[in-house]
Amino acid sequence: MSNMLQPQIILLKEGTDTSQGKPQLISNINACVAVVDAVRTTLGPRGMDKLIHSDKGVTISNDGATIMKLLDIVHPAANILVDIAKSQDAEVGDGTTTVVLLAGEFLREAKPFIEDGVHPQLIIRSFRTAAQLAVQKIKELAISIEGKSLEEKKSLLERCAATTLSSKLVGGEKEFFSKMVVDAVTQLGEDSRLNMLGIKKVQGGTMRDSFLVHGVAFKKTFSYAGFEQQPKSFESPKILLLNVELELKSEKENAEVRLSDPSQYQSIVDAEWNIIYDKLDKCVKSGAKIVLSRLAIGDLATQYFADRDVFCAGRVTEEDLQRVASATGGSVQTTVNNVVPEVLGICEKFEEKQVGNERFNIFSGCPGGFTATIVLRGGADQFIEEAERSLHDAIMIVRRAFKNSTVVAGGGAIDMELSRFLRHHARTIEGKSQLFINAYAKALEVIPRQLCDNAGFDATDVLNKLRHKHALPNGALFGVDINTGGIVDTYGNFVWEPAVVKINALTAATEAACLILSVDETIRNPKSESAQGEGAAAAMGGRGRGRGMPGRGRGMRRR
Amino acid sequence: MALAFDEYGRPFIIIREQEQKSRVRGLDAQKANIQAAKAVARILRTSLGPKGMDKMLQSPDGDVTITNDGATILEQMEVENQIGKLMVELSRSQDYEIGDGTTGVVVTAGALLEQAEKLLDRGIHPIRVAEGYEMASKIAVETLEKISTKFEYDVLNFEPLVQTCMTTLSSKIVGRCKRDLAEIAVKAVLSVADLERRDVNLDLIKVEGKVGGRLEDTELVYGIVVDKDMSHPQMPKQIEDAKIAILTCPFEPPKPKTKHKVDIDSVEKFQALQEQEKQYFDEMVKKCKDVGTTLVICQWGFDDEANHLLMHRGLPAVRWVGGVELELIAIATGGRIVPRFQELTAEKLGKAGLVREKSFGTTKDRMLYIEECANSKAVTIFIRGGNKMMIEETKRSMHDALCVARNLIRDNSIVYGGGSAEIAVSLAVEAAADKIPGVEQYAMRAFADALDAVPMALAENSGLQPIDTLTAVKAQQVKENNPRLGIDCNDAGTNDMQEQNVFETLIGKKQQLQLATQVVKMILKIDDVITPHVY
Repeated sequence: MSNMLQPQIILLKEGTDTSQGKPQLISNINACVAVVDAVRTTLGPRGMDKLIHSDKGVTISNDGATIMKLLDIVHPAANILVDIAKSQDAEVGDGTTTVVLLAGEFLREAKPFIEDGVHPQLIIRSFRTAAQLAVQKIKELAISIEGKSLEEKKSLLERCAATTLSSKLVGGEKEFFSKMVVDAVTQLGEDSRLNMLGIKKVQGGTMRDSFLVHGVAFKKTFSYAGFEQQPKSFESPKILLLNVELELKSEKENAEVRLSDPSQYQSIVDAEWNIIYDKLDKCVKSGAKIVLSRLAIGDLATQYFADRDVFCAGRVTEEDLQRVASATGGSVQTTVNNVVPEVLGICEKFEEKQVGNERFNIFSGCPGGFTATIVLRGGADQFIEEAERSLHDAIMIVRRAFKNSTVVAGGGAIDMELSRFLRHHARTIEGKSQLFINAYAKALEVIPRQLCDNAGFDATDVLNKLRHKHALPNGALFGVDINTGGIVDTYGNFVWEPAVVKINALTAATEAACLILSVDETIRNPKSESAQGEGAAAAMGGRGRGRGMPGRGRGMRRR
Repeated sequence: MALAFDEYGRPFIIIREQEQKSRVRGLDAQKANIQAAKAVARILRTSLGPKGMDKMLQSPDGDVTITNDGATILEQMEVENQIGKLMVELSRSQDYEIGDGTTGVVVTAGALLEQAEKLLDRGIHPIRVAEGYEMASKIAVETLEKISTKFEYDVLNFEPLVQTCMTTLSSKIVGRCKRDLAEIAVKAVLSVADLERRDVNLDLIKVEGKVGGRLEDTELVYGIVVDKDMSHPQMPKQIEDAKIAILTCPFEPPKPKTKHKVDIDSVEKFQALQEQEKQYFDEMVKKCKDVGTTLVICQWGFDDEANHLLMHRGLPAVRWVGGVELELIAIATGGRIVPRFQELTAEKLGKAGLVREKSFGTTKDRMLYIEECANSKAVTIFIRGGNKMMIEETKRSMHDALCVARNLIRDNSIVYGGGSAEIAVSLAVEAAADKIPGVEQYAMRAFADALDAVPMALAENSGLQPIDTLTAVKAQQVKENNPRLGIDCNDAGTNDMQEQNVFETLIGKKQQLQLATQVVKMILKIDDVITPHVY
C-alpha cells in the first residue's frame, strides 16, 4: 500500500470497504464472540444439539466442527474460528467445541485492554507466553498409561472414548460404544489407517443393535436374476477380487464387424460367448468360492456362478474392495488371466445376513486382521448420521491415545489447574504482562463455567468451590461433577481426555486469538459478495474510516 | 436472524444470507419441536387398535390410498417439518426392523414428548428429562422381558403363530377374515423359513393381487403365480408334470454384441440368410424338445413367426417374464436359468407338477399358476378383493402379518396385547421411579404416564370411557398381579388377553419403546434450529 497524501487518490476499486484501527479490531472481536455463542451450548455431557437446515439437507449435530462448517460463516474474522475448529477436527478429532470456545474467551478477555488502548502486540506476546507455559504444565500433569498390559490399556482407552461420547446423542450407551470403538481401533493395530475402518449405516433397530465385525461388511450389491440361487454362506472360502467387468458385451466400443456370408454369423456370436465363458471359467478354476468385482457382474455371469456354487457380487465400492483385500490378504486383479493362488484372499467365514431391511455380506475371521467394520443402527437417518460423527470423534481420540498415551483429567479439572498455575505465575511478573496472563488464566475457566451453565448449575458457586479446591494441595484433579452440581475428583471418576487434545486445543485457540488481535484493517472487496456488501458496508462504513492514520499497513487478507 | 449487534445496534453479517434465515433457540426451540411432533402423533392416534380408523390419502397425481398402517400414512403425508420428518423416519424404522407396530411407536413418542413438555415448563433441564427417559426405558425393557412368555410351535402346530398374526390383522380393514389371512401368512412363512437358522427370507414370498372376487378367495399357492399367459391362444392351458426351460435368451437368431453389418448384395445371399434364420428357429425348438422340455419360460419376447413355430411343434411358451419372477420360478422348480440354447440340458430343467392358466370371471385376464413344484421354497399369496385400494391395503396388512410371523420364528417370545403390556410396564416404571433420587424420578414418572397413552387411545378408539377403563384395568392388574389384563376393545367380556388370544411379539414391543425413547431424546436435545426463512 502506498502513501496516501492530500487530494484523494483512488487506490482501491470503488465500493471497496476498508475499515481499520481500534474500532475494527473490536468489531472483529465482537463478531467472533457472537459466533462462539452459537456453539457454546453444545459443550459437555449436558450440551444441546443444533438442528441446521441448509440446502444440502438437515443436520442435527453436537459436533463443534460440523456446526461451524454448516453455519456458513462469511465474516472474515469469524471465519478463522471455523478454520481452527476444522483443524482440531483433522488433527485430533475431538475438542472442536472447546477450541472455539477458548478462542472466543481469549478475545473477550482481551477486549477491555484493547478498549483501554493497550497495543495488541503486547497482549499477543503475553498470550503466547501463557500458552507455552500452559502446554508445559499439561505435559507435566499428564498421566501416562504407557507400559500397561493390553487388557489394562484397553480399559483405559475405553474411559477416554466414554468421555468423548458422553456429550453426544449416543451418550446413554457410552459403555457399549466405547468398548466397540476400542475393539475396532485395537483391531486395526499400531499403524492404523482410518480407511480400513468402515462405518456402515442401516436404518431401523435401536442403538444397541449396532455391532462390530472383525473383518468387512457391506451391503448387498445390485444383483441379477440367479443371485438367489447362489449359496449364501461359506466356511473358509477363497476370495477372488477383480476389477473386471464380467458381462456379455462388445469388447471394443467402436469396433464394427462386417460379414459377407451369413454363415459366418454364428462364429462371431460364438466367439463373443467364448470370451466371456473363458473369463468365467478362469474365475471358477482359480478355486475361488467368492468373486467380488468393482465393476458389474452381469446376469449371465451370475447364473454361471450360481450353477457352480460360487457367490458373486458386482459393483462393490472401491473402499469396500480395498478393505476386503487388506483383510483377506488377497489382491485386486485387473484381469482374470493367470490367477495364481497367492492373489486369492481367504477368510474364516462368509455369510449373507439380514440387517434391518438390508442384506449384508459379512466376511469375518480374516487373517490380515487390520480391518474392522462398525454397523450402526438407529431410529432415524439424522440419528445415525450423528452417531457416526460421534463415533468418528471417539475413534480419533482412541487412536490418538493409543499412540500417544498420556491422559489428563477432564470435566474442567485440567483447565482449572492451568488457570491456577498461570495466576500464580503472573504474580511473579512485573509489568503489563501480569495483567494479560491473568486474563488468559481467567479465560481458561470458561470450560468448567460453560459445563455448569449447560447443565443448569450455578456456575459461580461451582467455580468458587473449584478454585478453593485447586488452591489446596492434591486438588489438581478436581472438576465439575455433572451429576450433582458439585465438584469431584474427575480423574478418579474416569473422566479422561488425551493430553494431546488439550494441548492442540490450547495452541490452536491461542493462535487464532492472536491472529485476530493482530488485524487492524479489513479490506473487503464488494464484488464477491454483492448481495451482502451493502449491508456490510452500512454496518462497517460508520466507523474506522480515518485516513492517514499511522500504523496501518497490515491488511487482513480475505479468505 | 441476528447473532450480534455492534455498538450502534446494527447487526453483523456473519452468516451467509443472514437476514433470510430464521433461528429459534433455547426453550422456544424445544417447545416448537415438541408441538410439531405431537401434531404428527395426533394424526395417527385414531388409527390405533382393532377399532382404529383408516386414513384416506391422495397423492399429488391423484392416486388414492386408504390405509391403517402408520408407516404408510406418514410416508404418504409428505411431512415438511424437520421434526415431523423424524417421526416419519421413526415409523419407517419400526417398519424396516419389525414390520408391525408402526402406529404404536409414533403414538408412544408423541406421548413421551407431551409429558416432557410439562417437565420443561417446570424448568427441568431437557437432558435430565431425556436421561430419566432412558433409565425408564431400560426398566421398561426388563419388565417386558419378565412378563413375556415363550410358546412352542412346530411345522404342524402353528396355532400360536396364527393367533399372533390375527392380533396384527385385527386392526386392519381385512379384519373380517383375519383368521384365513393369518393362516395363509403363517403357512407361507413356515414354508420358506429355515427353522434351524431361524431365518426367513421374505423375498421368497411373492404377494400378488388381482381386482375381482372376494377377499375370502385369497389363497396361498405353493408355487408361483405369474401375471402372464401362454404366448399363443391355442397352446394347451394346462400342463401336468411340466419340465420347464427357463431362458434368458430370446427366440431369435443370436446377435453379436459388437456392432455388425451383414452385406447382402445378391438374391442368393438373401435367401441364404433367410434360410439360416429359419434354421435357427428350428434348431432352438429342437434343442428344447430334445432335452424333454414341455414348457418354455422366456425372459424376452419372440416374434410371431417363432410363436407360430412353437405352437406348431407343440411347445407351449410364456414370454416377457420379469427377472425377479424368473428367479423365483427357478428357485421353486429347482431349475437353472439358461442363458443360451447350447447349454440346455435335461438337468437344468425345472419341474412342476401342474402348470395351469386360470382366467378370472368374465374378464380376459389370465394368470399362470405354477404349482406342485419340486422345491416348494417359494410361495405366492394371491389376493383378491373388490377394488384396487382394497387389494393394496390387504397387501400392506399381509406384509405386517408376514413380518410378525417371521419375527416369531426368530424369537418366539410374546407379550400380551390390548395395552396390557404397556400398563404392566407403566406400573413397573412408576414403582422403580420412587427409588431413584434426583430430577430423573420426575422424568421416569412422566415416562410411566406416557405409556398409558396407548391403552388410553385403544379405549378411546373403541368408544369406551378412556380414563374409567384404564384406571379400572390398572387397579385390577395391581390387585391380581396379572400383567395379562388389557383393554377389552372387542367387548368380549373379559379383560384377560390370554383368553382373548391377543398377542404381540416381544421384540416388536421392545423395539417400539427403545426407538421412541431414542427419537424423543434426539428431539429434546435440540436447542437451536436454524432454517432458511420460509416466506
